[in-house]
Amino acid sequence: MVGYRIKKGLLYAFLVLLAAACLFPFLLMMVNATRSGVEITRGFTLIPGSSLKDNMTQVFNYFNPFLGIRNSIIVAVPATLLCAYFSTLTAYGLGFYKFHGNKFIFFMILMFMMIPGQLSLIGFYNLCSKLHLVNSYIPLIVPSIASAGTVFFLRQYIISSMPPALIEAARMEGASEFYIFNRIVLPISKPAVATMGIMAFIGNWNNYLLPMILITKNEKMTLPVMMATLRSSTDIQRNQGAIYLAVAISVIPILLVFACFSKYIISSVTAGAVKE
Amino acid sequence: MKKLLSLALALILVLSLGTVAFADGATKADPTEGIEPAELTGEKLVVWTLADDLVDFGARYQAATGVEMEVVVIAPEDYPTKVQTALVGGETEPDIIVGEPQMLGDMFSYGAFADLDALGAEDYADQIVDYVWAVGKDPEGVQRAISYQITPAGIYYRRDIAEKVFGTDDPDEIGKHFADYSTILETAQTLKDAGYRIFSSDSEIGFFAGLEPWVVDGKLNLAQARLDYMDLVVALYQGDLTAYANQWSTPWYQAMSGPVPILTADIQNYADDSVNVWDAEAFAEQTADMQQTEVFAFGLPSWGVLTLRDNVGETSGLWGVCAGPEYGMSGGTFIGISELSEKKELAWDFVKFCTLNEDTAEWWITFSEGDTVSMKSVLEAHKDDENPVYGNQKLYAFWQKQAEGIDYSKVTQYDKIIGDAWGAAISAVKTGVSTKEDAIEEFYDTVAYTYPEIEIER
Repeated sequence: MVGYRIKKGLLYAFLVLLAAACLFPFLLMMVNATRSGVEITRGFTLIPGSSLKDNMTQVFNYFNPFLGIRNSIIVAVPATLLCAYFSTLTAYGLGFYKFHGNKFIFFMILMFMMIPGQLSLIGFYNLCSKLHLVNSYIPLIVPSIASAGTVFFLRQYIISSMPPALIEAARMEGASEFYIFNRIVLPISKPAVATMGIMAFIGNWNNYLLPMILITKNEKMTLPVMMATLRSSTDIQRNQGAIYLAVAISVIPILLVFACFSKYIISSVTAGAVKE
Repeated sequence: MKKLLSLALALILVLSLGTVAFADGATKADPTEGIEPAELTGEKLVVWTLADDLVDFGARYQAATGVEMEVVVIAPEDYPTKVQTALVGGETEPDIIVGEPQMLGDMFSYGAFADLDALGAEDYADQIVDYVWAVGKDPEGVQRAISYQITPAGIYYRRDIAEKVFGTDDPDEIGKHFADYSTILETAQTLKDAGYRIFSSDSEIGFFAGLEPWVVDGKLNLAQARLDYMDLVVALYQGDLTAYANQWSTPWYQAMSGPVPILTADIQNYADDSVNVWDAEAFAEQTADMQQTEVFAFGLPSWGVLTLRDNVGETSGLWGVCAGPEYGMSGGTFIGISELSEKKELAWDFVKFCTLNEDTAEWWITFSEGDTVSMKSVLEAHKDDENPVYGNQKLYAFWQKQAEGIDYSKVTQYDKIIGDAWGAAISAVKTGVSTKEDAIEEFYDTVAYTYPEIEIER
């Protein structure tokens, strides 16, 4: 009994340590958001400084973070929804329909996962400029319909967790294929879709390269692009506090999304354990 | 629990931000001060910049002329990618583009900048400090960009220590102690014997190391001066002559304001992690028993005037600036016109306003609180200005003299990458990771695979 307690105590101590290690950077970020650049380069401390107001003013001198949040939401939310819906559709199609070339298409998708998007940057810019889509959010939102990684993950999930009998039963009842997808497949794969959705949201929210290249109007920039402009100060020290503050602001929506969907993530993690 | 925790975190963030969001802090000075804002003329210029200075220049130009200015600031490290993608993609929108000296070579090679001589730049050649004018010329000698600032390098030193050790604090006399690499070693030893350290880090002479071009006629040129510089850094490091701080780390900044502990080589390269050099409080505690010293000098370009001013604390007024072993420069924002701009005449007017206008230069000195401008006449007018942080030294006259010595023909577009590779070789030798011969071989290899077109004689 005593041995068990010690073991448990040690385990808890270890977990507390891990939790502290995870939360420490957040705390540091928040504390540094209240300190001046000179203080930050001198070293770190956990006692908040008194420069929050100055940092705030400095951020607002460069851009309006609330406008950035709005722009980022306009990009990230539709992109995430499109990515989640169409990836599930593709994954279901590849997983459950037997047709010629199924394997080949899946193989192609795997191939495309390996190609870094940065390679085609100039070509993509050319395309967008010919289509008059520079400074538009469309090239940032629509391509997320085709996300190879998400399809790959969801296909595995659907194959392993979707009972084929369920779909056959629905067909016998006379449900159309699309109806089956919307009413049966989508709800059953919800945990996996939510997990991938959060990943996609974080990815879209933090996406920097494409919006940096494609958006050239100050009022249309997404939050990460706006935040990067803080690094353009001639004096590298001065904006350090403001940068921390901007980062602190930018994680708020991610925390909120995580808070709303975390129960799906947990259920998707445990879903794997109780199967068969 | 997780949900609660992240909600709580978000809530704390929102609340703490909300309390100050609409409170008024210290606002930025108004760049349009002293100008009666003109009516908008309906014309418009678009500026893509990597330095936020141009936001202020833009606001002032708009107030003065009524031309609407749209200034887009892009993070410096992404600026070349952004401009190249857009211009190669045929974008006509930016009228004004900028570049730092090390970016200009590439930007010239894909034709980013318009010909300023065609717009009449030649007539202004003698108004700007010579090296700045030379940096803005492409390899064919066509003027394509001009900078509003100069960035020559100097040695910033403590006058009180100079007085004690060398019996004088006169910049010309102290400059003699930095006249060449072997003299610097002697100076370092003299200072160490007197209980001081010459530099905080061993990289302080880096800004003065460009004595020879890295590439001559397509051939890599590893000149004797480069090897001498390597020997100097190794001698400073291995002879225990610096305070073993890294540039831009906590003790490096601290050395500007007073005594710092003498670290060891192992602490500097993190082999010994008992001292946290990035944390001021832990640092003070862990080094309490260590021997203290004061650092004599820092080597920085003219923008170091502002860095030191913000960090010197109680040693304010005790500093001086003298010449280094060679002339050197680093940084500076160069303004030019995009080749694809459809409003080149108007854009040229803006470039002239920023770089070739005495009133703007005067305003910029005040507004930036001491930046060093590139117009000769304005530097001349300020040559008697005394800077109290630096013992009332006349810094504008000093920088102008330093800038006169800079020979920009030694700068090549390969400098950044080759310089970094050479720096890595020096680090390897000084810390004993590899021998001098091995490090040089490895340096050759790095250059060979980065720039296959450069001929290398081993």
